[in-house]
Amino acid sequence: MPPYRKQILIGRGRGDQFQSIVELPKVNDKEVVPWVCEELEKILFFHPADLPFPAQLSVIGLSEGLITFTRIFSPEAACEVIEAEMHSHVFFEPEPDIWMVMVVEKSKETEAIFRTEALRTILKEIHSLFIMFHGSIRVLLDKEPGGGLTRSHLHTFIMDYLTDFLMGNKFVLPNFRDSLKERGTVQMLTVGREAAIEVQSLVGALDSCMANTLGYSVILFQDLLVSTTLSPEDTTNLFSYSTLRLTPRVLSSSSGGTSTWSYLRKGTTFVPSHADLASRSASNLSDENYRVVRPLQHGKWSKGKDGFLVTDIWGVEVGNLVPTTPTLWLQQTEHKMYLCSYQHKSLTILLLIPVTSMLNGEEGITSLKQQLLENVSTKIFKVEEKLAKGWGGENAYHVKGYRYLLVDGDRCVSRASPPGKVTTLTKESLLAMNKVREDVDLEKRRGNGGDDEKDLEICIRAKNNAWVIAKGTRGKELYIVLEKANETLLYASEAIEKFSDRYCNGAFSLD
Amino acid sequence: MTSHSSSSSFPDNDDEPAGPKRNTDDNIGSIDYSLDAIENQLSSIALKTSIDGERPSVADDHHELLTETAKGSSREIESERPINSTGESNLSTETGVWRNSSEVEVDGATSSPCSSGYAGEMGTSSGTASASGADDVQQHRNSSSSEGNNGEVLHSAQSQWVPGKRHVDEDDTCMSWRQRKKHFFVLSHSGKPIFSRYGNEHKLAGFSATLQAIISFVEDGGDRVHLVRAGKHQVVFLVKGPIYLVCISCTEEPYESLQGQLELLHGQMVLILTKSVNRCFEKNPKFDMTPLLGGTDAVFSSLFHSFSWNPASFLHAYTCLPLPCTTRQAAAAILQDVSDSGVIYAMLMCKYKVVSLVGAQKAPLHPDDLLLLANFIMSSESFRTSESFSPICLPRYNSMAFLHAYIYYFDVDTYLVLLTSNSDAFFHLKDCRIRIETVLLHSNVLSDIQRSISEGGMHVENLPLYPSNRYGSLFHTEPKPHETSVGTGGPGGLWHFIYRSMNLDQYISSQFSSPITNYKNQKRLYRAYQKLHASMHHQQTGPHKTQFKKDDNYVLLCWVTQEFELYAAFDPLADKGSAIKICNRLYGEKDEDKGMQFENNFNIVFKGTTDFKCDMQAKVE
Repeated sequence: MPPYRKQILIGRGRGDQFQSIVELPKVNDKEVVPWVCEELEKILFFHPADLPFPAQLSVIGLSEGLITFTRIFSPEAACEVIEAEMHSHVFFEPEPDIWMVMVVEKSKETEAIFRTEALRTILKEIHSLFIMFHGSIRVLLDKEPGGGLTRSHLHTFIMDYLTDFLMGNKFVLPNFRDSLKERGTVQMLTVGREAAIEVQSLVGALDSCMANTLGYSVILFQDLLVSTTLSPEDTTNLFSYSTLRLTPRVLSSSSGGTSTWSYLRKGTTFVPSHADLASRSASNLSDENYRVVRPLQHGKWSKGKDGFLVTDIWGVEVGNLVPTTPTLWLQQTEHKMYLCSYQHKSLTILLLIPVTSMLNGEEGITSLKQQLLENVSTKIFKVEEKLAKGWGGENAYHVKGYRYLLVDGDRCVSRASPPGKVTTLTKESLLAMNKVREDVDLEKRRGNGGDDEKDLEICIRAKNNAWVIAKGTRGKELYIVLEKANETLLYASEAIEKFSDRYCNGAFSLD
Repeated sequence: MTSHSSSSSFPDNDDEPAGPKRNTDDNIGSIDYSLDAIENQLSSIALKTSIDGERPSVADDHHELLTETAKGSSREIESERPINSTGESNLSTETGVWRNSSEVEVDGATSSPCSSGYAGEMGTSSGTASASGADDVQQHRNSSSSEGNNGEVLHSAQSQWVPGKRHVDEDDTCMSWRQRKKHFFVLSHSGKPIFSRYGNEHKLAGFSATLQAIISFVEDGGDRVHLVRAGKHQVVFLVKGPIYLVCISCTEEPYESLQGQLELLHGQMVLILTKSVNRCFEKNPKFDMTPLLGGTDAVFSSLFHSFSWNPASFLHAYTCLPLPCTTRQAAAAILQDVSDSGVIYAMLMCKYKVVSLVGAQKAPLHPDDLLLLANFIMSSESFRTSESFSPICLPRYNSMAFLHAYIYYFDVDTYLVLLTSNSDAFFHLKDCRIRIETVLLHSNVLSDIQRSISEGGMHVENLPLYPSNRYGSLFHTEPKPHETSVGTGGPGGLWHFIYRSMNLDQYISSQFSSPITNYKNQKRLYRAYQKLHASMHHQQTGPHKTQFKKDDNYVLLCWVTQEFELYAAFDPLADKGSAIKICNRLYGEKDEDKGMQFENNFNIVFKGTTDFKCDMQAKVE
């Protein structure tokens, strides 16, 4: 097996019968050809696509071999991770017999020290976003058993997604320095009572705008969620998509403007040369046979004069060149929805209207937009102004002396110290926190993520004298690093208590 | 023997099939498929993608297993292993060409040592094996579920536990085999099975080849596999030259602990065979090592058992029997006297605890070597019946050569070990032993040992509530009735503690107190300590200084300095502040008291009390 660096692949389990559309390598050995063919059929996506087939098959073979092997002892949960001297292989089975595997190279020198669960969250996010726009992989495979349709969709989608991790020619994945972040969760804006009433009133106005369509609304300020009427899972997915492609920060950076502050991905700037990475490397997939929508394609969203966000990702109407309204699938209801986005300064409003209830299609959307402009725009301006006034800026959620991450697993919500503040921590503290989180992840996985999660408290004084603390109670987790040297365990505990009382409604307090 | 072992053997929880009992017939069809599939997935890739290295063929290997046993490669060991045994050997032909002794005339049958300690083990281990092997899964589950209610303490668990291989009739097609909580496998780099904790090695040839395929496949890619995680299961790999060791466990122990256990398993094999066995693989990659380990099942099962009760296996330190300093010094003086006459290490042991240990070498005996040696001696019945002179190798001392151990039991628990490099030293060491025995009897050391055993170890109940008491306060001040070692818990909710001196490589562990009264609870605490230790000493981030951990079971406090480590377990409702105070008190409030209450629990003959005091200069914060 040749050396491999970072690879991400999706394979499917044995037992699927379909023909490969992948071009076979020229192999002289006649016996080998059918076998290679069978093996290649399993690969739905592989990056880097230019890796020689034998090497690709090696990775697939090892992954599949270990999935089968581990099922001997653990039939209910097959292989989750392989830790080797130089690589980690992280596994995720998003749908029965569909496997995603990420292979990362470990290196102390390049700071490539990862937390398995953080890497798995990337795989989860890819899959969640994929099904939001394209439906499940299994449904796609059923639709076209040849697999070509699935491969085309996966390839363009994942490659578009991965461009966000590209720095130059290298992928930069979340490492130990991101141990005070939680991908796959929503970050909320804290609003005062008065603003909350205004927001509530806006939500009501949006509801009446959508009238009888049983639509949903999501409101964001900057990269933070203000309000949602969706389920937590759907909110998380839509929030992820918005902060990747829709919020004012993203739009301004992709249109060539200076990158503004990002709560989520500070410093991640889009490099235009990567925009067509998917198209370039997809050339050998013959995807021209399929019409592939690329919701994650960079630079495709822009703000129209009327304040609505427009894109031609979903195509344009024949004749008048008006872009088709984007559609997506809700995970909870499995309904197909129109996505209608409006932006005013820092405020982004997303409306989701069931396709089935919009009988006159695009015409209905146009009239909905018109209604919104006429009836709700004043409210929107007012709310934006109010929120902007109360907004503390980049370091709004900084708590002096603390570097923290607070996760509410039940609501998929997290809050953390601003990235700029976390970077002031030493490498030792962050490595220690990374390890503590790895241990807590393991405990959680072993508890099978049941509702009756145990209470847990870990306070470690690391060798650099920093206190690295993890507390978990009733689905909530709090991680804190205190770097004040020469402080005692009791001092650290008291500090946590204060933090819990003040910022977590006492969730982590003793009494 | 057979009926006794099945009824009274203390079951190791690891034996117990994990998880809910599944229908045995379920998945059996898929089992055969699974192994074939993995073989196909890995090996066919290896073959067909131009990696044309040799792939172990299950069928071929199995054949070779049967035919190669008696072939010449095993004789390599025979010639390399010093043959110094005296007396008659009762070995079967299978259990080792190398154990055939060159006969030396010895006067009187009673003074003839066994040719090797485990030679006589065949009866015991096979007897146990057949007894336990007959247990079906349900019976086994019953016996293990009852253990939790017996109120047995760990040391009685040790004494009741019967070594020997279990479930010999199982193989990888049995659901019960798959559900065992912790497997250990040893195989050669060509995929031949060498050892399996459960089941029949020969029947596991196909499974062994699969493990080999996984390891080799990753190695062919220029990497080395360490760990595979799947749900609650971990598969841990360790490659030691031509020998591959694998642990498959769902015990939730940390990876580092399991890896350490594989290291010890390898060390135990080296202790029996030396590392020169590797040369046999160099000459013949398909060399079959299984016969060389014949009759050692009890040694390995005892080692696996120690992984669930003996802190030495993760602390890498040894523990001593509590004794008055004068008693220990008397024992040390005579051992020191003997060690000047060609003895490399001399040790007086009480079960796994050291009474006194002296060495002529500057290098102290590594605690792992001591653990493996004690395990080897303790698990071999024949050493108990007569004085013995056995070749053994200390892996950390010199993994390539044999030393010779003179072993003699003074009573059922107390034994003497004299290690020499001279293969002709039996009679000299016998004389030494007679001298030692005389001194020990005269100075009442042996009776003091018995008294210490009956009194038990340190009790947390005896920890003073106020820091006025001098050291020694944790000991029983007056003899307590025999085997009443379960206490009621110490001040501040203290349930248990372990103190390890870094300079001395020794640890002390308190007696278990209520509510850690049964084996299940003790094992749970042991595992919690294991996790705590692994977390404190993580390769990338450790060693940490302090850790406070609270979950539904305990409050754990760990404190690591350059001089010592303290692990303490409290009631989960214990107050943090008082837990810290108790830890400080355990250690000694005043500088002159630092750790002195542990003085009687350490073998400090060569360090001197001044060194010992130097250990004690910190305070938990």
